[in-house]
Amino acid sequence: MAVLGSNTILLVALTITVIQALTPSHYLTQRDVERLKSSLSQPFSDLETAFYSIVGLSKLGAQVPDVKQACTFIESNLDANNLDSLFYAAQSSQVLSGCEISISNETKDLLHAAVSEDSSVSQICHAVGALNGFGLPLASQEALSALTARLSKEETVLATIQALQTASYLSQQADLSGIVEEIEDLVARLDDLGGVYLQFEEGLEPTALFVAATYQLSDHVGTEPPFKEDQVIQLVNAIFSKKNFDSLSEAFSVAAASAAFSQNRYHLPVVIVAEGSASVSHQQPVLRLQVTNVMSQPLTHASVTLERAKSSSTKNTVLQQTAFTPAGDGFDLNFMNVKPASGYYDFSIHVEGDSRYIANVVELKVKVSTEVGITNVDLSTVDKDQSIAPKTTRVAYPAKGKGSFTVDSHQNFALSFQLVDVNTGAELTPHQTFVRLHNQKTGQEVVFVAEPDNKNVYKFELDTSERKSEFDSASGTYTLYLIIGDATLENPILWNVADVVIKFPEEDAPSTILSKNLFTPKQEIQHLFREPEKRPPTVVSNTFTALILSPLLLLFILWIRLGANISNFTFAPSTIIFHLGHAAMLGLMYVYWTQLNMFQTLKYLAILGSITFLAGNRMLAYKAVKRTTQ
Amino acid sequence: MISSFLEQYMSTTLQCLKLLDAYLLYILLTRALQLSYCLLLRTFPFNSLLSGFMSCVGSFILAVCLRIEINPQNKGDFQGISPERAFTDFLFASAILHLVVMKLVS
Repeated sequence: MAVLGSNTILLVALTITVIQALTPSHYLTQRDVERLKSSLSQPFSDLETAFYSIVGLSKLGAQVPDVKQACTFIESNLDANNLDSLFYAAQSSQVLSGCEISISNETKDLLHAAVSEDSSVSQICHAVGALNGFGLPLASQEALSALTARLSKEETVLATIQALQTASYLSQQADLSGIVEEIEDLVARLDDLGGVYLQFEEGLEPTALFVAATYQLSDHVGTEPPFKEDQVIQLVNAIFSKKNFDSLSEAFSVAAASAAFSQNRYHLPVVIVAEGSASVSHQQPVLRLQVTNVMSQPLTHASVTLERAKSSSTKNTVLQQTAFTPAGDGFDLNFMNVKPASGYYDFSIHVEGDSRYIANVVELKVKVSTEVGITNVDLSTVDKDQSIAPKTTRVAYPAKGKGSFTVDSHQNFALSFQLVDVNTGAELTPHQTFVRLHNQKTGQEVVFVAEPDNKNVYKFELDTSERKSEFDSASGTYTLYLIIGDATLENPILWNVADVVIKFPEEDAPSTILSKNLFTPKQEIQHLFREPEKRPPTVVSNTFTALILSPLLLLFILWIRLGANISNFTFAPSTIIFHLGHAAMLGLMYVYWTQLNMFQTLKYLAILGSITFLAGNRMLAYKAVKRTTQ
Repeated sequence: MISSFLEQYMSTTLQCLKLLDAYLLYILLTRALQLSYCLLLRTFPFNSLLSGFMSCVGSFILAVCLRIEINPQNKGDFQGISPERAFTDFLFASAILHLVVMKLVS
């Protein structure tokens, strides 16, 4: 379900900006229409592809190259027992002029039998379509009831679209309002993508088929489809965003949708683009617009008005309420008649002429460009202490200043000039006004910006001693260039004004030219691991370990002195177990220190502890009894 | 004065109490040694120092509790806690203490 696909979005040159209402950002250009036609013009492989090609091309206003051959193909491939085959044949032959297919009575019966509640919506659609295509009579009311009953069981989008198509084949006397209401339900099921696209999650093809079926039914019944203006444009954007199609059926659906958008009775989306780039100048004073429908067919009956043209920078209205003159397929306006200053202008354009027009108000950005001329160019060397009068030389563009100018550390070099619009004489302030000094020997160049003062006279001053770091103090002959550029200038300027000899004091001259090695590998960083803290020497630690053990000795000595004995030791099993368990617990502690982790230790401890506790309990109870009886 | 105190101590205290007292003395000495080690040689393996210290202190306290509870002269204060019960408590508590200390040492 590739919505945008990998195809480039075809934007109008210099954008149609979206301000008030949505305008189509995707539509079928002439090239797209040709491409669509060629993808539909493939040789027929079976009846279905023939149907898509024949009917698709007819929707685009074209024809298959060989009508007779197409007709014979249909006749020979027609399978009279297959509903789909009959449908394709019927619709195709209806489109081809002079192609009549004969139908046997059995086929007619088959078709009539198919129009019942037991067939799927697709089958009902094809049967009704086939009957309509062959020009056979049809019981509309029965078909309608079968369709309604079936539709309540099949709730998919595709089934509903086919129901819409079927209804457009039925007679207008039947009450089709129930089917017409389905359109609104389907509109609610469309997904809004970013406010720009509106389509079904099932993909492009169902959306396009939906549009075609909706307009077909609406025209048939005479009620306006419940699309809001923005929704129509969003559908246009979604359907025409894809320019290369995966399958023939997809191409067919887009062709059907484009025909629906161009020819229905209610909504006509309008596409307004400027021809070429939206730019006017004195050589090209006319702005030409193309006003077309979504298939790039020109709407020659429209009347196009410029509501207002405002300068983008100053917001002054330059022109109001002027009509465009129709010229050929497009509409022209000579904008230079009002002698606008160069720059960008916001055009607000209205297209009238038909109540069906949608997105008929656009904002367009138009560029007015001009040519620049340089006047009053003065080069001068000014002494720093102002003792000597400055020497000024006037240079005329495009000549080069005669003679060379010498500047050393006691002098400043100054350049002043003015930029005017060649056509109007107004002063200009372009975006790029650079002064470039290029050392002829070393190839160095230094670029400065010339700034205008409040009288729009550009001035540039070079103080050689201040700027010597930028020149790397390399004395020599420098060529002076003036660079003028802007988006609205037709003639950007690169002008070699003069040659300047700049002398820097000798002691600053660099011995070698330092080439900046930006791309050599840097020094490797060695990671310094955290040094372990100094521990006391082993000797000391060992001494202290021995020392710690000495109180233990003292304890034993004291105990022996005091007469501790194990005379009351009875060899009852509980006592043995108790002592063993206790010893084992202490051993476990040691093992825990060396090897185990907490969980394992707790496990063993629980086992040992419970044993010891039980044994100890018995032992102590026994002792207590002994004590009380003593 | 000290000698008279010692004489009285030797005569009046029970043997088991004397044994316990010897044990207490041992713990005290160990603790003093640890402290001096720490003061002299900085606290590099801080957790080891702490665990050793706490072990000493804990054992000391538990032994004191045991001594208090066992002493027949204090029987009035401890109704319902037989010496055996006190001993069991002592063992249990010291088991937990050793567990914690071992955790800290590692």
